[in-house]
Amino acid sequence: MINVEILIVGGGPAGLCAANAAADLGASVLICERDEIPGGQLVKQTHKFFGSRKQYAGDRGIAIGDFLLDEVINDPKIEVMPDTTVIGIYEDGLVLAERSEEIIKINPRKIIIATGAAEKFLTFPGNDLPGIYGAGAVQTLMNVAGVIPGERVLMVGAGNIGLIVSYQLAQAGVETAAVIEGAPTIGGYLVHASKIQRLGIPVRTGYTIKEAYGDGKVEGAVICRLDAAWNMIEGSEEDIKCDTICLAVGLTPLTELCWQAGCEMAFIRELSGHVPLIDKYLQTTNPKIYVAGDVSGVEEASSAMVEGRLAGYSAACSLGYGLDTAPSLQAGAMAELDELRAGPMSDRIRQGVEKVEKMVTKGGV
Amino acid sequence: MLINTGIPTKEDLAKVDPSAERLAQGPVAIVECFQEIPCNPCVDACKRNAINIEGDINGLPIVDFEKCNGCGVCIAHCPGLAIFVIDKTYSESHAVVRLPYEFVPLPEKGQLACALNRAGEELGNFEVVRVISGGAKNKTTTIWLAVPQDLAMEVRSIKAPNSAPNIQNSAPGLQSSPTDTLICRCEDITLDEIRRVIADGYRTIDEIKRVTRAGMGPCQGRTCRQLIAQELSRHFGIPMEEVLMSTFRPPVKPVKLGSFVKGGDL
Amino acid sequence: MKKAYDIVIIGGGITGCALGFELAKRGRKDILIIEKEYLTSGATGRCGAGIRQQWGTVLNATLARDSTYLFENLEEYTGYKGDCGLNQGGYLIVAYTEAEWTQFQKNLELQHGLNIPVQKLDPQGAKEIVPHLNTEGLYGATFCPTDGHADPFHCTFAYAKGAERLGVEIATYTEVTGLRTAGDKIIGVETTKGYVQAGTVINASGYNASAITKMVGMEVPVYPERHQILITEPVNHIQDPMVISFHYHFYCQQTPHGSFIMGIGDPTEPVSYNIQSSWKFMEDCATQVTHSLPILKNIRVVRQWGGLYDMSPDANPVIDEMKGASGLYTVAGFSGHGFMVAPKTAIIIAQQLTGEKPDIDLHLFSANRYETGELLLEPSVV
Repeated sequence: MINVEILIVGGGPAGLCAANAAADLGASVLICERDEIPGGQLVKQTHKFFGSRKQYAGDRGIAIGDFLLDEVINDPKIEVMPDTTVIGIYEDGLVLAERSEEIIKINPRKIIIATGAAEKFLTFPGNDLPGIYGAGAVQTLMNVAGVIPGERVLMVGAGNIGLIVSYQLAQAGVETAAVIEGAPTIGGYLVHASKIQRLGIPVRTGYTIKEAYGDGKVEGAVICRLDAAWNMIEGSEEDIKCDTICLAVGLTPLTELCWQAGCEMAFIRELSGHVPLIDKYLQTTNPKIYVAGDVSGVEEASSAMVEGRLAGYSAACSLGYGLDTAPSLQAGAMAELDELRAGPMSDRIRQGVEKVEKMVTKGGV
Repeated sequence: MLINTGIPTKEDLAKVDPSAERLAQGPVAIVECFQEIPCNPCVDACKRNAINIEGDINGLPIVDFEKCNGCGVCIAHCPGLAIFVIDKTYSESHAVVRLPYEFVPLPEKGQLACALNRAGEELGNFEVVRVISGGAKNKTTTIWLAVPQDLAMEVRSIKAPNSAPNIQNSAPGLQSSPTDTLICRCEDITLDEIRRVIADGYRTIDEIKRVTRAGMGPCQGRTCRQLIAQELSRHFGIPMEEVLMSTFRPPVKPVKLGSFVKGGDL
Repeated sequence: MKKAYDIVIIGGGITGCALGFELAKRGRKDILIIEKEYLTSGATGRCGAGIRQQWGTVLNATLARDSTYLFENLEEYTGYKGDCGLNQGGYLIVAYTEAEWTQFQKNLELQHGLNIPVQKLDPQGAKEIVPHLNTEGLYGATFCPTDGHADPFHCTFAYAKGAERLGVEIATYTEVTGLRTAGDKIIGVETTKGYVQAGTVINASGYNASAITKMVGMEVPVYPERHQILITEPVNHIQDPMVISFHYHFYCQQTPHGSFIMGIGDPTEPVSYNIQSSWKFMEDCATQVTHSLPILKNIRVVRQWGGLYDMSPDANPVIDEMKGASGLYTVAGFSGHGFMVAPKTAIIIAQQLTGEKPDIDLHLFSANRYETGELLLEPSVV
């Protein structure tokens, strides 16, 4: 049995920042990370980050992962357990984790869930043909394992992931036949779209995948136009030859542990799925549990890092650490989040966060 | 429109391009950034304080063309690769377009590179006159490409040498054959089956899970739960907010029974 | 939902659904089944779904035997299009103590008297049936090849769909909030979807049975007790029978789908409505089952869950009309074996309520046995 003050589930940007923040205030922290190398999605993000210097803007995700990990590893108050998956939070607050087929019992005083998000899947005929991947999976395959998925890709979804992965496919010498997007407008940052258009990769909004076909593997896809009500327009079908289809149709918060721990949950469309109801300190309705990053609503890595710090301060403070400094640190992180969410690209996030705030005021955390 | 295609229009560009007079005076940065996103490394990159953003971090960058001397440090610092430096004074016939580049192998000075416009169309092969490394950390290279004066405001990229051969899409005459739409990948449950049991009167995820096994496999519904919820939402016209979720149970991932045997670390 | 019914059944588990079906089959009209959540959401859908005829009392053995016959043709019997998943791979009941082994021999005589084809096996014989069984410390085993298990969801849905075809209405996601009486007679049921009149109300609400009878000020000694189960990923078929030990309180079966389902009882489990999963169960179950069936240590667990037994003091049900509220019947307290006896039990109750002569006399399950002390002690429960 491991007794620890703060257990952090997930060593991605939110989890690593949470660990640093909590340890800075004096709490002892254990991070359980299911992958061999902590860093979460940062380990495959070869592109530069947006945001400001406080969120390491201009640095590549992979480098940010390295800095954060260095800080964590060099902090005697933080223990990192890689290759360790938290599999359950039980009725008595005990946590089970699995590492190399061994069960580890952890008895934390506070838990910060920073499990991130999972890729959404899409329903269309042929959607189980080999050669159909989540775009995030392809990014891992290429940028972590050094393997390309195929020779010619159809990218479904023009959010940031679809646009960025198309660019990275090009960097790896893989052709992207087109990036199609069901919505009438591009969802990701336009600079990413411009960047791939310059390489000759067409971004086609108002198109969806009608079906994938092939004999035992993907050989092509039929795409077609959508009308304003998202209905397929008969006769607008086009055949796209490709051996790979990447689905970049969004992420959804990975909340199994929150549900298990009895946190009150709500479906918030703007936050991309079911999320735990939280107060402004990121505490859930289970007072033992805090959340940070995509698990509380899918957003950018920059805000995940700030949320991580906020959750780390909050959890440490609830254990009596940094009682004098924590309030200003928390206020600073909240102000940073407000700034990141101030722009028009964050309209949805702001609406989602407001919805959660309202539900919490009603129900009370 | 930019928002539909990612290709800025003439009108968009008119808002960020320097005047002809300024262009005639020497190298100058153009920031082709048209969307309010939370980002400001360009501001920090400019030692002459020539780039500013209005209001908070979401503001659009504005270049003070008088302060800008076209040094080009900002090019490799823009995470969106949206900054270019144009030097129309390079020679009478040619201008230099300095652009960010992140492909290998890098072109070498003196080589010809295929220039591309904002839509990725080839504009001809032109000489690379300089290659500036971004350094080990930054890794974005700046390529100086000498292009005919009239293409200075068109060329914004070069073709990567290892670009895949262009495979043509076949003409209509689709080769598709009827295939299943899968909902639950662990238990092989198709959309048709889900629709059939909904028609049969099963109307919640819990009921559908029990009658079809969708969501009972190793991933415990990580993917299909949401897809079934969407189908129920569509079928019954109820918002996703009101679709009842099923219970989430441990373990989050499959674990060997033997791993739980007592005698461990208690 | 109409305003008035002839019969209201509270509870959409297998007992309630089978009752609805059997009553409608006997010509009763105007039947409503009320279920708080979805059909099978209570004990039925959380149970191990074993079907065992090897009981230590005549009444239980007979009910289980006759129910087994019904399970054998449940699809045809109810007109169900699905597959009820019956797997008659037998029950191998293993004895680890001398006392247990002595009791098993007694049970064997009783079972043979009822034509239940139970065999007595030495440890080697048991190993022939389950080759991966660890026979260390084993006294012997009994085996009934026609025992087995079925899919609790499909069995319940089969009854429910059959009942609906015969005109029974089912209101799911509807909770009973009160009962109304006039004098000593039941007259209706209050629910979250409104009030419905009914002259006959059958309380088949399992572990909620006493909460229901309390609505008219009456007590039945039925209380909830958590039991837990885990299920593994599917693997190739390697085990036919349910393996069960009363001494170690565990059972383990392989479903036709290939997953192993197993559970272990905790004698210290308190009375409670708690159905959360515990890590201790995982540990206990894994430790015991991998000791008795070592090969299973490499199979991966995909899910664990808790459910509630509707326990009674003698681990047998209360099947009786409530004194002081005529027309209110309680059919609950099956103490973990309600699934396997539901088909026949439903028939007998339906026979009683429709004036037919019941096939089996159920007076041993009367409510007043707890007052008179004539308990029906069942030696064979897990």
